[in-house]
Amino acid sequence: MKIRTLRYFIKEGFVNSYRNKLMSLASILIVVASLIIFGVFVLISLNAKHNIEIWKEQPQLQAFCYEQLDETQIRRVEEIIKADDRILSYEKVTKEQAMERMREKLGQEAAILDGYGADIFPVSFIIRLKDVSYSDEVVKDLEKVTGIEKVSYSHDTVEMITRVSHWFSLGCSVMIIIFLAASVFIIANTIKLTVFARRKEISIMKYIGATDWFIRWPFVVEGVIISITGAILAFIISAYGYKAVVDKFSQDAFFAQTNLLSLLSIENVWSKIAVYYAAIAVVVGASGSFLSMRRYLKV
Amino acid sequence: MIELRNVSKTYPNGTVALRDINLKLDKGEFVFLVGPSGSGKSTLVKLLLKEEDATEGEVYVNGYDVTSMTRQEIPYLRRSLGVVFQDFRLLPNKTVYENVAFAMIITEALPKEIRRQVPMALALVGLSRKANMYPHQLSGGEQQRVALARALVNNPALLIADEPTGNLDPETSWEIMKLLSEINHRGTTVIVATHEKSIVDEMKKRVVAINKGVIVRDQEKGLYRDEDKNTQIFY
Repeated sequence: MKIRTLRYFIKEGFVNSYRNKLMSLASILIVVASLIIFGVFVLISLNAKHNIEIWKEQPQLQAFCYEQLDETQIRRVEEIIKADDRILSYEKVTKEQAMERMREKLGQEAAILDGYGADIFPVSFIIRLKDVSYSDEVVKDLEKVTGIEKVSYSHDTVEMITRVSHWFSLGCSVMIIIFLAASVFIIANTIKLTVFARRKEISIMKYIGATDWFIRWPFVVEGVIISITGAILAFIISAYGYKAVVDKFSQDAFFAQTNLLSLLSIENVWSKIAVYYAAIAVVVGASGSFLSMRRYLKV
Repeated sequence: MIELRNVSKTYPNGTVALRDINLKLDKGEFVFLVGPSGSGKSTLVKLLLKEEDATEGEVYVNGYDVTSMTRQEIPYLRRSLGVVFQDFRLLPNKTVYENVAFAMIITEALPKEIRRQVPMALALVGLSRKANMYPHQLSGGEQQRVALARALVNNPALLIADEPTGNLDPETSWEIMKLLSEINHRGTTVIVATHEKSIVDEMKKRVVAINKGVIVRDQEKGLYRDEDKNTQIFY
């Protein structure tokens, strides 16, 4: 294909989509809607993965002693932890520190702790393992140590989140497939209308010896224009939307202090989203055009 | 140039349009294809353009074996010949110049070639001054001349005109016919399907008469209707 012919196809594609404004707009909107749903899914799963990674990198256990343990008993527990060579490091949280942390967590409601002493909080040890694979056996062993009431373990959280995100992805995938299929069909319909409006022109082109592909390419371009426009709009909307969510999140006192969840910044995700959108747009646009042509452009 | 050997055409609905047609046209000929509506003239033209396929027999056009041609090859057959229709078939939102140039754009001709050829074709049909007008601003005769310019711009060896004057008044019809004759003098083979009796009678060219799907007469310097009963062949 020669450059001047390519230029002709692109120009015709633009002219077609402009002539067919209303349908083009409808198709663009459905593409935007599907891509935004897809984008939300991608962003959530990217963040879920990111957080799971963080938790996995920090295989933290927290072993809580009974509140009524005295200093010597606590020291004995500490000795056991110290002696365990599967443990990389540990940090002792005294009753006072525990109370202080709770006050911080409660924030404005910290007043409910007034009148209580630090006695009600247990001494605990935050333990970092040398390797995450030890976690199950270490937990089992620690739970047997006299004086330790329970061991909390981030593995449960990781597992739960993995499970939830798995089902979430499955649900989203189904929705995305439905929406993308809808986009393809609506684009196909739009192109069908263009083809119909220009059937006389097409037959003239055939009579003077235009090849099938010479006639078809402008319609493919039209489909891609529609979906790319949709993708750009969807990208702008989802980028701003995500930025707003991240800003809101970082201002939120609870999440900011607990470090429970960390969101990826927009700088980390925009390029991925852009690549996904562009790829989907081209595929959806082109397949929409091909679908309509297969049926309605038997030239 | 054109050769039909034992060609028959039956449409899917059972209508027999052509029956055992044998016809040969040499390079540089001017042939009138005459006959009443429904005689099979149009079907014959459609076979030459491969708009329809012959049910039986072989069709050769411009060196192409039309019968065994694949769909992908059809555009190249059509590029090798110029076609003019009764209803002009111009692109309404393109100017006269663009309409003619379009026939070259689809062949991916060089822009330089297009700029050279299009004015020449327009000059040939006498429409140089109306190059920037749109088809709806032109008279019927002028529109047909644009169609002629478009048919000729790629310098085809064969020009097929299907009822080119069917929508025109007698005077304009004459102009178009004279133009076709002139084009023929320049070396292009011309085949004209028509039922303009006066023009056919006046021009004294080869006449091929079709009726009910069979060639009933093929005569050099013929008339629309054969006056000499002796040469009339009845089937």
